[in-house]
Amino acid sequence: MPTVLRMPEVAANATDAVLADWLVAENAEFSATDAIATVETEKAVVDVEAEDAGIVIKTLVAPGSQVEVGAPIAVLGAVGETVDDLDAVLAALGVAVATAPVLPERRDVPEQATPVVEEVAAAPTRRLFASPLARKIAKDAGLPIDDLPGTGPRGRILRRDVERALAARTEPVPAPVAETRAVLAPTHDAPASEIPHTRLRRAIASRLTESKQTAPHFYVRATVRADALVALRAEVNDGDVKVSVNDLVVKAVAAAHRAVPEMNVVWTPDAVRTFDTVDVAVAVATDRGLVTPVLRDVTSLPVSEVAARVRDLAARARDGRLKQDELEGGTISVTNLGMYGVEEFAAIINPPHAAILAVGAVRDEPVVEDGAVVPGKRMTVTLSVDHRPVDGVVAARWLAALTDLWEPRVRFVGCGRGLLHRPTDEAPGASAT
Amino acid sequence: MPEHHPLEPASPWVEVVATEADWDAADPHLLRTIYAQLVWIRTFEQYVLELAAGGLIHGPAHSSIGQEGGAVGSVLALTSDDSVNGSHRGHHQFLAKALHHVEPKGLDPLEAPSEQVREVLLKTLAEICGLDRGWSHGRGGSMHLQWKEAGAMGTNAIVGGGVPQAAGFAWSHRHSGGDAVSVTYFGDGAVNIGSTLETMNLAGAWSLPVCFFIENNRYAVSTSVDEATAEPRLSARGLGFNIASWKVDGMDPLAVHLAMTEAVEHMRRGRGPTVVEVDTYRFFHQNGGFAGSAFGYRDKDEERAWRERDPLTQTAAHLQRRGIMTADETAAAVAAAKAVMEEIGRELVEPLPGGKPGQRQIRPGEWPDPDWVDVGVRGDLSEFDAARVVDPTGFAVPVQETKFIDAVAAVMGRRMETDPGIVVMGEDVHRLNGGTNGATRGLPDRFPGRILGTPISENAFAGLAGGIALDGRCTPVVEFMYADFMWVAADQLFNQIGKARHMYGGESGVPLVLRSKVAMGTGYGSQHSMDPAGVFATNPGWRIVAPSTPYDYVGLMNAALTCQDPVVVLEHVDLYGSSGPGPIDDLDYVLPVGKAAIRRPGNDVTVLTYLGMVPFVLEAVEEFGQVDAEVIDLRWLDRASIDWELIEQSITRTNQVLIAEQGAVGTSYGGWLADEIHRRFFDLLDAPVRRVTGAEASPSISKVLERAAIAQKDEVIAELAEIARY
Repeated sequence: MPTVLRMPEVAANATDAVLADWLVAENAEFSATDAIATVETEKAVVDVEAEDAGIVIKTLVAPGSQVEVGAPIAVLGAVGETVDDLDAVLAALGVAVATAPVLPERRDVPEQATPVVEEVAAAPTRRLFASPLARKIAKDAGLPIDDLPGTGPRGRILRRDVERALAARTEPVPAPVAETRAVLAPTHDAPASEIPHTRLRRAIASRLTESKQTAPHFYVRATVRADALVALRAEVNDGDVKVSVNDLVVKAVAAAHRAVPEMNVVWTPDAVRTFDTVDVAVAVATDRGLVTPVLRDVTSLPVSEVAARVRDLAARARDGRLKQDELEGGTISVTNLGMYGVEEFAAIINPPHAAILAVGAVRDEPVVEDGAVVPGKRMTVTLSVDHRPVDGVVAARWLAALTDLWEPRVRFVGCGRGLLHRPTDEAPGASAT
Repeated sequence: MPEHHPLEPASPWVEVVATEADWDAADPHLLRTIYAQLVWIRTFEQYVLELAAGGLIHGPAHSSIGQEGGAVGSVLALTSDDSVNGSHRGHHQFLAKALHHVEPKGLDPLEAPSEQVREVLLKTLAEICGLDRGWSHGRGGSMHLQWKEAGAMGTNAIVGGGVPQAAGFAWSHRHSGGDAVSVTYFGDGAVNIGSTLETMNLAGAWSLPVCFFIENNRYAVSTSVDEATAEPRLSARGLGFNIASWKVDGMDPLAVHLAMTEAVEHMRRGRGPTVVEVDTYRFFHQNGGFAGSAFGYRDKDEERAWRERDPLTQTAAHLQRRGIMTADETAAAVAAAKAVMEEIGRELVEPLPGGKPGQRQIRPGEWPDPDWVDVGVRGDLSEFDAARVVDPTGFAVPVQETKFIDAVAAVMGRRMETDPGIVVMGEDVHRLNGGTNGATRGLPDRFPGRILGTPISENAFAGLAGGIALDGRCTPVVEFMYADFMWVAADQLFNQIGKARHMYGGESGVPLVLRSKVAMGTGYGSQHSMDPAGVFATNPGWRIVAPSTPYDYVGLMNAALTCQDPVVVLEHVDLYGSSGPGPIDDLDYVLPVGKAAIRRPGNDVTVLTYLGMVPFVLEAVEEFGQVDAEVIDLRWLDRASIDWELIEQSITRTNQVLIAEQGAVGTSYGGWLADEIHRRFFDLLDAPVRRVTGAEASPSISKVLERAAIAQKDEVIAELAEIARY
């Protein structure tokens, strides 16, 4: 019996994805674990793998189509299976017509008082058909057109649909775009150019807006001695291994998470989820925008390996070649603007993480040591924390654990160069407590 | 047993051979000029090949090295009033004509070049390099050299493509009353192409003073003349058209000069066209600086034998033999010319910064401005400044019900009355009481010699008209009995006439009017029923008018005849028999370029239409009744002249567009227009642009199939009904 292949949720909480390409043609067979299709999300391209051997009977969406997660994308069969009446099979599988999944429903039905709230919420990501003129009038009037009934061909929203909606608009509406522009008017005559949003830029905007709006942020900050850290880095880099201050911070963050496991959590609607291993995301600036690949089980990695993996992830991030699973998971991110001379800053948490550590520049400063002022190196780190799963005192304990790890001597990587290269579980958390 | 009576060609066919006595008798001044020209041209071309080898010539460098004797010997028999044109291999003819123009009294090989000679060399080199200082600002390059002032009317990259135009120059010379002649240079490759043979026939029939100068260099690229024809004695072509023909050794410049002097005399005396065939040889391959033998189609012995007869060494030997110049002097002339070319070259090229020794680049400031890419595809319409241009809305003069076809003949008669340079040509336009439809009724008697019935050879007579237009003294009006015949003349219409202004620098006009009849619906079938608007609209250079009323016809024909660009006037046979508003007695008003007309105001949809479809659209809107359509008669259809302002005003109100035309969908007009509307007016559109066209097939002879292939009222109603559904 044929089965339906549905659009997988390749990115957490994604409502849709683009079917980038079919790797197995219609009527072609495949083996288990063969990639059948590639799916593109905002940040990555993912192969959809076959669970068992079989045959692609019919693809239901064309390459390049944006498809809702869970929508049928193909009909698969057992090896050698053929179908005489595809329409009947599709009907039996509950798939309407071949092109249905990418088309919107007709919107000329009067709005119903139905309780299907979730579906309505998903609607804005569907392709919406509206004439250019209708879109322009609606945009100028600040009218969202997502829920307008369209009366044109194939449910297209036309000028008259927008005008009807505008006429019926009685409730207070969000400030129209035009008003916002009026506020900004003095800059309007200035020479300017516009770069249309890329998918990545939109993703950054929506994720960070969501974070700032839903995760109540609080901040804890510490300025710490960095002499030992810098010295260690210099010692390490004397050899053929190249390690940055940031790599050491990533390693220290993991150690701190071991020391304060209440920080190794994420907020979910029903529970606070605590993890066993420590996965740390690293912010990487690329030409296209910010991405945050995740390093797995950092406590198990020697610093040299952390450095190597960060380098690899950063390089592939810049080339846009990260896989989706490399962008998922983790409980905390590390972001560092120290190389630009930024002394301190506060970052927005990268959801669904519980925290982000913003690292400033290492600077030479007079420090008091044994009652005397001596030259020293200091840096400021700022931890942004989601107050839903983590309270202030936990964050404070975590920050203290972190600074203890490299002040006055670095304790999270052992002391010798040999340890740098050996993949061992150093369990630095134990020594930190 | 039948009797056999031998027949003879009606024209003479002779070979001219220069004897040593002829060389001894030749004026020393002529021989010095011949030598000086040979040296300048040879040295110039060697320098071009040097630049080409250094990668400084973009595209081919077709050298004529070895063939200079024919060009120099012939050009020196001409004056600046005479015209020449040529083919892709034309550096030598162009330079010979230009040098002769700036130094009409002759050149001396031992004298330093005058400023004018230097300028000719510099501008020609710049043009070949594609630089702004060239004759055509680098647009034409090696294959499109034109300096009209010198009578060098333009070389041509289409084999045989320039030949019909040369007949046009000859026609203008004769019509203007002088004894100037036209010479068209082409090779053994072009002698077999239709435009050349058609033009020989036309020139013979009309006894035009044009010389078909055949440079038989034995190879069309790598195909030998013996492979390409059973009659490799190419001057024999003239006999088939009763054209006096000469054959002469092209490596002997004096022999060429003697033969050409006879041929020019023949033409100046009004005895009709001539053929002069020269046997010659290009020392190098088709282009570049390698010998043909390197490519395997000829051998080194053959090349050596021809090189031994090099026109330069032959001429130098005669000069020395007669004691006119010493060997040192002939060598010094060559050395001096080389030095001058190096100097001139340094104005255009410079050492490549950071390059190896000897590596050069074009001086950056010499390139044309890329923003100039489209400038001069058509003219700036300044010729309308002095014209009586009227308001495009309503009627500017008193009108009465007029038969369309009468307006056609009336306005042409009026223009021919006021402008003696207008000449009408086409098949049967001089007979049948005004041609096949009466469009030239009464004109042959009023204007003898200016209503020309042509042989059936659209490419030749369209090209001849193109030559008249390039010459600029007269204005040709060409009638195509059926629009489909444009394909027969396609090279002349689209490669030549449409591109000429832009290709030669954008500055000189090509005032030509093509009256093209659209005969769909007359039962003439698949090859006589097309609407050519889409094809003209998507090729550069043309303006297109489509009059739908007698009033518009008069105003638009006057505009077409004023315009310095080629204009195709579409005439629908359906309309010929119709009646509509036409001027009572004023035939001099000019409708402005680029102004459409609203035939029916409305608010629901903008219908853009033209020509014979206008009445069908108006009927459809009235009959259907449910859609308040605004019907716009475009009048001007080309990209440069379409009325964007009116279209935008209308779409701003209606937010919907329907483009309605009658012809087949494939070559239809509305495709580019729909594209442009979508891009210009996207935010004004509440629906995609709709279109009415004919079927894919060409209309058939069978009446019902023909009707099914053509869009008329019913097809418009069907589309209006779709609009009404939403």
